[in-house]
Amino acid sequence: MSKPAKRDRRILWAASVPMMLLALSCVYPIYFAINNALKDRKGYILDRFGLVTDPSIENFVTAWSRARFDEYFFNSVTVTAGAVLALLLVSSLAGFALAVLRFPARKLIFGVILASLMIPVQVVLVPFYQTIVALELLNTRIGLILSYTAFFLPFSTYLMTAFYAALPRELVDAARVDGAKFLQVWWYVMLPMGKPALLTLGILNTLYCWNDVLISLLVLQDERTLMVGIAALRGEYTTNVPLLSAAIVLGAAPIVLLYVIFQRKIVAGIATGAVKG
Amino acid sequence: MAELALQDVRKSFGAVDVIKGVDLEIKDGEFTVFVGPSGCGKSTLLRMIAGLEEVTSGDIMIDAEVVTDEEPFDREIAMVFQSYALYPHMTVAENMAFALRLQGMSKPERRKVVEQAAEVLKITPLLDRRPAQLSGGQRQRVAIGRAIVREPKVFLFDEPLSNLDAELRVQMRIEIARLHGELKSTMIYVTHDQTEAMTMADRIVVLRDGLVEQVGAPTDLYDDPDNMFVAGFIGSPKMNFLSVAATGPRQVSLGGLSLDLPQLKNDLNVGTEYALGVRPEHLFGGEGPGLTMQIEVVEQLGQTAYVHGRLGAEAQPVVVELRDQRPKTGQTIEITFDLSRATLFDAQEQRVR
Ligand SMILES: Nc1ncnc2c1ncn2[C@@H]1O[C@H](COP(=O)(O)OP(=O)(O)OP(=O)(O)O)[C@@H](O)[C@H]1O
Ligand SMILES: [Mg+2]
Repeated sequence: MSKPAKRDRRILWAASVPMMLLALSCVYPIYFAINNALKDRKGYILDRFGLVTDPSIENFVTAWSRARFDEYFFNSVTVTAGAVLALLLVSSLAGFALAVLRFPARKLIFGVILASLMIPVQVVLVPFYQTIVALELLNTRIGLILSYTAFFLPFSTYLMTAFYAALPRELVDAARVDGAKFLQVWWYVMLPMGKPALLTLGILNTLYCWNDVLISLLVLQDERTLMVGIAALRGEYTTNVPLLSAAIVLGAAPIVLLYVIFQRKIVAGIATGAVKG
Repeated sequence: MAELALQDVRKSFGAVDVIKGVDLEIKDGEFTVFVGPSGCGKSTLLRMIAGLEEVTSGDIMIDAEVVTDEEPFDREIAMVFQSYALYPHMTVAENMAFALRLQGMSKPERRKVVEQAAEVLKITPLLDRRPAQLSGGQRQRVAIGRAIVREPKVFLFDEPLSNLDAELRVQMRIEIARLHGELKSTMIYVTHDQTEAMTMADRIVVLRDGLVEQVGAPTDLYDDPDNMFVAGFIGSPKMNFLSVAATGPRQVSLGGLSLDLPQLKNDLNVGTEYALGVRPEHLFGGEGPGLTMQIEVVEQLGQTAYVHGRLGAEAQPVVVELRDQRPKTGQTIEITFDLSRATLFDAQEQRVR
């Protein structure tokens, strides 16, 4: 009895030591950011790694008001919320159509969507930029919302299609017999049934949109989103690290909050993606 | 209350013909059962009647009105699916009231209708549960409840009992029959279980490979099948088919035994091979001519026993039903043919009358 128990414990240790190191490497940057955000510049230069001695929220105030982070924050929230809503709406409709309806070239359309999943953003940046300019969407929030929707839609549509295709077809048949028209089937049956997948997509897309720098930098050049603002705080020769740290904490806070709220669902959502992908 | 008619209805999926021309008339209030082997197109035909599957050609009429191109709902049919297809995110009451809600009926009114239906189906205590919290039999009742609140012209059932255990199946079978007696609606019921077909149907439609083989009352199909397929499909255990040769216009021979079939209206071709169909219960204890058979296998079911053995010089396998007996393997019994109940089929498997 005792021998296998001993061996079990050794295996446990062998696994947990690397795991702890891994966890540390994730936790440390967070500690570093929060710690330094609370120092002033002098404090930082004198002692980069030590624990803050007289913490102040000066940097947060500066970032929020003088570095226009209030505006950036508002931009990020609007654009992320708008894009995520559009993504959920369009992908659940498209997924419903692709999974349930029988129309010509259905397979081809799905194939094209799958193929566009493989194209990295960087490859299409130039034509994408030209399109944005031609549509006069440059420097508009709606332009950025549409851009995010376009870039993240293939994956969302793919996930919704896979999810809806796995639901029993007879549910849709039953709704049609009960008198539901096309959009009513979607609204009363597909949308509520799709909740788990939609929640996953909502979280994933929020992360993508919120953390994006590249697309935002192209589309929203006069104004900025939060991540672009943070990136811009890095000077060429010197960087105000405490201010940057405060900005990073501000930028990460909503996502961390979201994570805490939906913690369990996110793990389940990653599993959904793993199985379907 | 509705009559239903199909006129040369066909369906192909791409190049595959699944329904190959079905003509059918179903009377008001009739309980019709579609039976046939797996893949013969029963579900497809039912779904076409429901409007869930497009018709390739032909017409479907309800109450003398062509509904071929109408949406399921406009046909005023209700359907009960094999998988129940209850909406998992709605309570039982919401499931049953969904159609009414889409029609714009007010909430208190809906509740009243649902409660009445629940009363009939004895599911009142379940109304506020979700489908996941119900047993298979309860789900089936809810699915039926969802159909009856609509007061449809025609009820369609696609193998509604096949997911239930044997005991529950018998119980639900009786309840559906009772429901039909109460509602007196036109009902079409799909099954591949011939016992269900025999016990529930006013009329049975036997399908094979997208074609109707025979339509008739259960006893008609049992006593007077049009072809070997129907004869073999209806009845359990299956009808015995013995190959015989015609020795006269109304006489055949089997293993040296001459059998007279005076009921035949047409002359047989002397020397031609035919198949003689005799049901297991018509092979024992009769007055007719006989052969001896050694028992190979015994299935003792209580009062009746089915014994398997081989008959005649060609050792043709047969099943015989014995009543109030305890036969033993290896025993020899006398097989007597009740020829008044026997049927004869030609090489094309069609009935010779
Ligand atoms: N959407 C479809 N596309 C192509 N072929 C189909 C489709 N639906 C059904 N079929 C084919 O049509 C035939 C009849 O199918 P159907 O489901 O009507 O059979 P069934 O009699 O209900 O069988 P079962 O007793 O197994 O339910 C089968 O050969 C099936 O493969
Ligand atoms: Mg079927």
